[in-house]
Amino acid sequence: MQIYLPIAEITVDPFVIVFLGAAVGFLSGMFGVGGGFLMTPLLIFYGVPPAVAVGTEASQIVASSVSGVLAHFRRKTVDLQMGGFLVAGGAVGAVIGIMIFRYFRAIGQIESFISIAYVVFLGAIGLLMLMESLRALLRDPKAKRTRRKHRSAEWMAAMPFAMRFRRSGLYISPIPPIILGFLVGVLAAIMGVGGGFVMVPAMLYILNMPTKVVIGTSLFQIIFVTAIATVLHAAANQTVDILLALLLLTGGVIGAQIGARAGRRLKGEQLRALLALIVLAVCARLFFDLALPPTALFVVEPAL
Amino acid sequence: MRALNLILLFLVIATPAYAADIAVALADDRVEVDANFAGAELTLFGAVTGADGKADDYDIIAVINGPTGDFNVRPLEQRGIIWLPGAPTTIENAPRFYATSATRRISDIAPLPDQAKYELGVDNIGAIDLYADTDAAHPFHAAFVDALETQGRYQDSIGGVSFLKGALFTIQAALPANTPVGEYTVDVYLYRDGVMINRDSAALRVNKVGLERRIYDLAHQRPVLYGLLCVAVSLLAGWIAGLAFRKS
Repeated sequence: MQIYLPIAEITVDPFVIVFLGAAVGFLSGMFGVGGGFLMTPLLIFYGVPPAVAVGTEASQIVASSVSGVLAHFRRKTVDLQMGGFLVAGGAVGAVIGIMIFRYFRAIGQIESFISIAYVVFLGAIGLLMLMESLRALLRDPKAKRTRRKHRSAEWMAAMPFAMRFRRSGLYISPIPPIILGFLVGVLAAIMGVGGGFVMVPAMLYILNMPTKVVIGTSLFQIIFVTAIATVLHAAANQTVDILLALLLLTGGVIGAQIGARAGRRLKGEQLRALLALIVLAVCARLFFDLALPPTALFVVEPAL
Repeated sequence: MRALNLILLFLVIATPAYAADIAVALADDRVEVDANFAGAELTLFGAVTGADGKADDYDIIAVINGPTGDFNVRPLEQRGIIWLPGAPTTIENAPRFYATSATRRISDIAPLPDQAKYELGVDNIGAIDLYADTDAAHPFHAAFVDALETQGRYQDSIGGVSFLKGALFTIQAALPANTPVGEYTVDVYLYRDGVMINRDSAALRVNKVGLERRIYDLAHQRPVLYGLLCVAVSLLAGWIAGLAFRKS
């Protein structure tokens, strides 16, 4: 069976797309990550135009984050005040990100730009995760990592407008969360990711937020920022394929359930090492697509 | 054969000396491409009238031209360790769909001047031949044709024209799912012994129907509304998925 995706303008097998959604959903359920940074490259490998892959992923992340955040609202593990500042920064970041995206689209370099951005981010994050998990696997299990907590507090305390964040139990300036939200917003708009892989570590180690509110609050921010990015991509670039998003989502929901169950059987460090290897493999494939001599020496595209 | 009863054949009185007339009629002057299948089959019917000799003596070339558009072609250039697209050359008013079907190879039917004049075959499309002055085929030109052939938008086929019975013939062409919507023209040329005897043309409109078309129209005509709808649909889908999660 074949269906035609109206915005991507390609014919696809819907079962392959649902399976792709399920596979990434499985990984995101297993590892507790959003999966956008894997889904976008996989869509590109499948033949979806990169710009459409990014725009569509933004809308799919809205959906997958909503189901996650509802559970966190019930458990009261969302810091709405912190989330508000993150969203404020994220909204501006998404607008800037879309402007960058549009610029590269106008000069015809958007496909290369997305690939390069992915190679850099996946490479850096994959390596960091791999090193960290290998160290954890080899390390004495009693060793603690408390040293980091103090360092960030000093420059944070020097920032103005400090205020109390009750649910996070913090007294800090809202400027760092706004900047963090902004950076994640730019990433979300350019790469079609939620940005949880940047935001969660930053919330833990830079903002010193307690672990229990980190996931819920980051999901809260991701919903708003990817929703803004979706509308902006649709309005500015016409690159959101809702049919593709729904197919991915269908698979993603099922895959995430199975993945979450499978994840409970593996240790955290093993999971992270495994995820790091997957991330690095995707990074390598993107890199070789850029670096190996191309089969076609010309790129043909409709003039915008 | 579908809709044979719809055909209107214009029978023209024969005139002497290699005179024969050709006429085409479309089975449908509106072709609708749906999301559920990978394209549509375009069928034309035609007749050769006033012919002397056997049908085998005649050759037919049909040329289908879709709406035109501008394209950018960029050479890939090695920058450092990666390959990046370089400065674009714009090809203006190139057909976004072009197909020929003929009874034999076009080069065996029509002389070279005719091929160029009537743009017979993907290699003779005038709009894309930016390097017509140079003798050698330019790689740029070949790359453009290759890219559109790969997408199924440019095609030359042999045997798409077949005689049904005596002077009646059909022309069939596959329209891929990515066929652009708009006005198409179909030109048919009747040849005998390398000489064009007559020609005829017909116009048709390709539409897209179904949900996918509505999505496309909304996304391009009301992009902000479409974006908001995408978000609404995603929120709803996520909420439903959340409920399903909770119960399990």
